[in-house]
Amino acid sequence: MSAAATPAITSATGSMHRGPLVAWFALLLALIAVGISAFAYQFANGLSVTGMRNTVMWGQYILFFMFFVGLSAGGLIVASAGRLFGIKAFKPITRLAVLEATVAVMLAATFILPDLGRPERILNIPLYFNPTSPMVWDIGIVMIYMALSAAYVWLYARADLAERGSWLAFGTGTSERAIARDERIKGAMAWVALPAAILLHSITAWIFGLQIGRGFWYSSIMAPMFIASALVSGLGLVILLALLLRRLGRLAFNDDLVALLGGLLGTFVVVEAFFTLAEYLTATYPGAPEGRAAARMLSGPYLPLFLFEVGVGLGIPFLILAIRRLRQRPAMVALAAGIGIIGIWVHRLNLVLNGLSFPNIELPPGLPIGMKQTGSSFAESYWYVPTAIEWLIVIGILSFGALLFTLAVLYLPMQEPEAH
Amino acid sequence: MSDPKIPPVEALSPASRAWGEIGPRSDHPRWGMVVDQERCIGCWSCAVICKSENDVPLGMWWNRILTEGEALDQPMATEAGGLEMHWLPLACQHCENAPCVKVCPVQATYHRSDGIVLQDSDRCIGCRYCMIACPYGVRNFNWGVPARPTPNETGMVHARPLGTVEKCTMCVQRLADDQVPSCVWSCPTGARVFGDHNDSGGRMTTLIREREGAMLLEEAGTRPAVRYLPPRRRNPL
Repeated sequence: MSAAATPAITSATGSMHRGPLVAWFALLLALIAVGISAFAYQFANGLSVTGMRNTVMWGQYILFFMFFVGLSAGGLIVASAGRLFGIKAFKPITRLAVLEATVAVMLAATFILPDLGRPERILNIPLYFNPTSPMVWDIGIVMIYMALSAAYVWLYARADLAERGSWLAFGTGTSERAIARDERIKGAMAWVALPAAILLHSITAWIFGLQIGRGFWYSSIMAPMFIASALVSGLGLVILLALLLRRLGRLAFNDDLVALLGGLLGTFVVVEAFFTLAEYLTATYPGAPEGRAAARMLSGPYLPLFLFEVGVGLGIPFLILAIRRLRQRPAMVALAAGIGIIGIWVHRLNLVLNGLSFPNIELPPGLPIGMKQTGSSFAESYWYVPTAIEWLIVIGILSFGALLFTLAVLYLPMQEPEAH
Repeated sequence: MSDPKIPPVEALSPASRAWGEIGPRSDHPRWGMVVDQERCIGCWSCAVICKSENDVPLGMWWNRILTEGEALDQPMATEAGGLEMHWLPLACQHCENAPCVKVCPVQATYHRSDGIVLQDSDRCIGCRYCMIACPYGVRNFNWGVPARPTPNETGMVHARPLGTVEKCTMCVQRLADDQVPSCVWSCPTGARVFGDHNDSGGRMTTLIREREGAMLLEEAGTRPAVRYLPPRRRNPL
């Protein structure tokens, strides 16, 4: 990419219109306030205000937790692999990918809080942690990863901030030695960041995949499949955000990079589809009880969701990205990325719904719902639908993420210099 | 919380006390139970007394009776064309290799030295990972403020707080007084036998040995302390 082809980058507050920005912040703050109010209401009344019950005891919050862990891991895997293997073409989006990973993992951590029945006891986790619990492993890696990715964001922006005289540089300088040291640290950190990102999402998969009591999840392909789906959704979001920032004049790169990333995204989609095929074939071929849960995905009430996950979520992005003429149009790559992200979200939804809706011992009257209600207090299967409260909390947390991201984009230089 | 309740054992007549007494045991008991499916008549007495003994709120069941058939009141058709009706009383299996104990992030669910799996309601953060891990679906979560048919607490133990998980405790409050769990003494057909797995000559261990007491979902490798005696009347398939 030559300097001539690079459009001028607007400064942080320069040509940005203040009006829309103020309205955007006001909207986000209002939605965050709504989310906090919904959380307070849930805290006072218990999780009875959600759609979850004893039968489907994990829902929207866990779904978004694993979705955002995936978005985060995917972004950082692409960024650090680009650094590690010297893929220079990725350079313009490196800072964006690292920032996306940081904000996404912060949101993932936030999503744990409303899922707890007693959020005020969260400190029991560090106080009484159980070393055999995959949830403890996951919270550990989320904390390490969050610190690592935040440090990464700062390190990439540090020299530019110092040049501007920003206090965010924390008194560090811009001498040639300092820049060279930055580069060494960044190179070394890629060696840690790449395995950390892979571990982050693998451990999240193992929260589910190690449970012998849940036939739909108990599979060694869970971790690889989570990595593949993380790459699809994470790279998809990075592409969308990169195109958005380019339109807003905060980032510059040419369309060749979009086509390159689109091709990579198409590859990840194929890997995800391949793992899905391997999983379902292995589970259903013997026709044994162990494959019951997977067979139900293919024939039961959630079949339309599965068809969406595979046909729309993977099929359409593949068709768009496999055709070179379409891949070279940024709007089409953005469309493929958007559909891919939604498809991965539906994949997570299917994991939760099909994995939990049917108890192991399928005898009447089934499981106790756990709440007083009219009619039977038992259910043999359960159709989970999130309530308005759950959506308001989710929207609040998403708005918090959008706020963090907007602030970071406003105050941190996003363009990686060509010279280094 | 102060305890205003009369200790359960003192509320019993000497005859009732003798009826519910735990029999001989080894030096280091590992408590367990055997459920005779041949004797069970599906009356739900044990499920109901469990609710009152342990103050289990409306909509929750620590102990429930599953029907081995298509519906609650429908017998199962055998291949030979005959009809059969059997029940599977289901509560916490008090597994030796308990998936819930393994996954609890804060060690709120734990093994007592006698093998009983308990839940610490004061430590539980309400993440419900134990409910995910349990293959038997015997754990209940306090989704809302517990609802009761009477304004006061019932039973011999305190109610559990909002936002925590609860389940069968094998009536630890009764074990402390050397009394069998309430589901055992109350069964009208004597289908439940309580005992010590380490006492090889005991009634429970003898029944398990002689009638090939089975573990529920044995393939999950949980090694439950509760065993089931299959009905002998069942026609061969």
